[in-house]
Amino acid sequence: MRRLKQVWTVSAYNFRGWHKNPRIIITFALAFILCFLLSDKAVQFAQEYGTTMQSVEAFVWTFGDSNSILLASLLLVLLFADMPFLGAGVPYYLSRIRRSTWLWGQILYICLATFLYMLFVLVSTSLVCMRQSFIGNMWSETAAVLGYSGAGKAVALPALVKTLEMSTPYECMATIFLLMLLYTLLMVSIMLVVNIKKGQFWGVVSVFLFSLYGFLLNPQTFNVFMQLDSGQMYIANLWAAWLSPLQHATYHMHNFGYDLLPRLWMTYGIFGVLILLSFISALRAIRQYNFNFSGTE
Amino acid sequence: MNIAISVQHVYKDFKGEQVLKDVHHDFEEGKIHGIVGNNGSGKTVLMKCICGFLHPTSGKIFVGYKQVGKDMDFPEDLGLIIETPGFLPTVSGMKNLQILASLQHKIDDDAIRGTIRRVGLDPAMKKPVGKYSLGMRQRLGIAQAIMENPSLLILDEPLNGLDKSGVWDMRELIKELRAQGKTIILASHNQLDIDELCDTVCEMDAGLLTVVRA
Repeated sequence: MRRLKQVWTVSAYNFRGWHKNPRIIITFALAFILCFLLSDKAVQFAQEYGTTMQSVEAFVWTFGDSNSILLASLLLVLLFADMPFLGAGVPYYLSRIRRSTWLWGQILYICLATFLYMLFVLVSTSLVCMRQSFIGNMWSETAAVLGYSGAGKAVALPALVKTLEMSTPYECMATIFLLMLLYTLLMVSIMLVVNIKKGQFWGVVSVFLFSLYGFLLNPQTFNVFMQLDSGQMYIANLWAAWLSPLQHATYHMHNFGYDLLPRLWMTYGIFGVLILLSFISALRAIRQYNFNFSGTE
Repeated sequence: MNIAISVQHVYKDFKGEQVLKDVHHDFEEGKIHGIVGNNGSGKTVLMKCICGFLHPTSGKIFVGYKQVGKDMDFPEDLGLIIETPGFLPTVSGMKNLQILASLQHKIDDDAIRGTIRRVGLDPAMKKPVGKYSLGMRQRLGIAQAIMENPSLLILDEPLNGLDKSGVWDMRELIKELRAQGKTIILASHNQLDIDELCDTVCEMDAGLLTVVRA
């Protein structure tokens, strides 16, 4: 119980650093601008057709797309670039606890901060379409037009019929939120491990490599370089869906009962195991870590 | 002679540069041990190694009978100041110390108030630490180091930023702590502090530790 309280105190210490912190303010301001820009396509579409939207639909259509997930997750680098957060006050905390307790505090902070950031993204996209939205748990006319008429494909919004028919808006929103959260947590946990083992520069590099891997491992990319026919494209789709963390985070790249794509629970499991492995790796690495505090010399 | 800290053939490299070179010394219990040396001579690195924040490239450090980094992460029963004290700038000094004290639950609020008064600050002061002068922050740093009554104190430039009366007060406090049987390692640039306070003096020069006064 005492260790749990210590973990919470260490985590809370990091959150206290948010007060009037320009880096935190810039991260959230940029996230809002990003949400506004990314969801604009869906909002514009609804305005053009004079249709209403469900309040979380802007989030669903925007972050059902892998590139939007990639951009939103990359902004978190700003928030966590200085991991593992070695301010001048840290020696006082460390001398009263254990290395592992301190790292658990950082892990808790990372999880909570990522959750808050994702929540902010969700609320921001909902606010953007607030004027023409309703809160009932049913798909709107906008969704129907986007999904059934094929207009979604024309404006590059991933409003698929399977999305509409397999779930309700809130259920779909919760699934996308969880996928994004897990993807981002995996990215940040890798950054934490690399920061501890190799330093902050390589931590940031690891995030860009991780994102680049997800971005390039995409069936469309294969198609551009190899001119695939529909059969080969199907196989490329399967490979990308299984091997790319970014495709795992994309809602419609899952098996809803009629193909060989990963099922949602499999993705949750894969992300969960990888995140856990990263945290275990960080806990092992912290034993030999040399603490160099900023602002003490 | 009881040994509080035993530093055994410690080397420390940073990216190929040797910062500590075969540092070998025993620090006796209940005394004030001064470490002098120029900037960059390796004083702070040695102190960080003793505190367990840095792992020696080779060699061992024992505090009591336990090896730092092997038998324990950081020395138990340790109070420290590593140069500029870092506190949460948006809350009061009392609140800062309450947060730190909550990690171990060894002392209550009355003990914290007593320690803050002992270093010449007012525990009822609501001013956030961000608005403290350097001297006030230094006093608060000393308060956090001693508040849990540790048997070992590692003080790196503890009198930095203090005015004349502050320096006098803190010297008296450090002498008082020695009288209570605490082991203190003190790094300072000020020769007067070293001469007046320390029972033994070592000098660090380019990573080498030599005994000046035993």
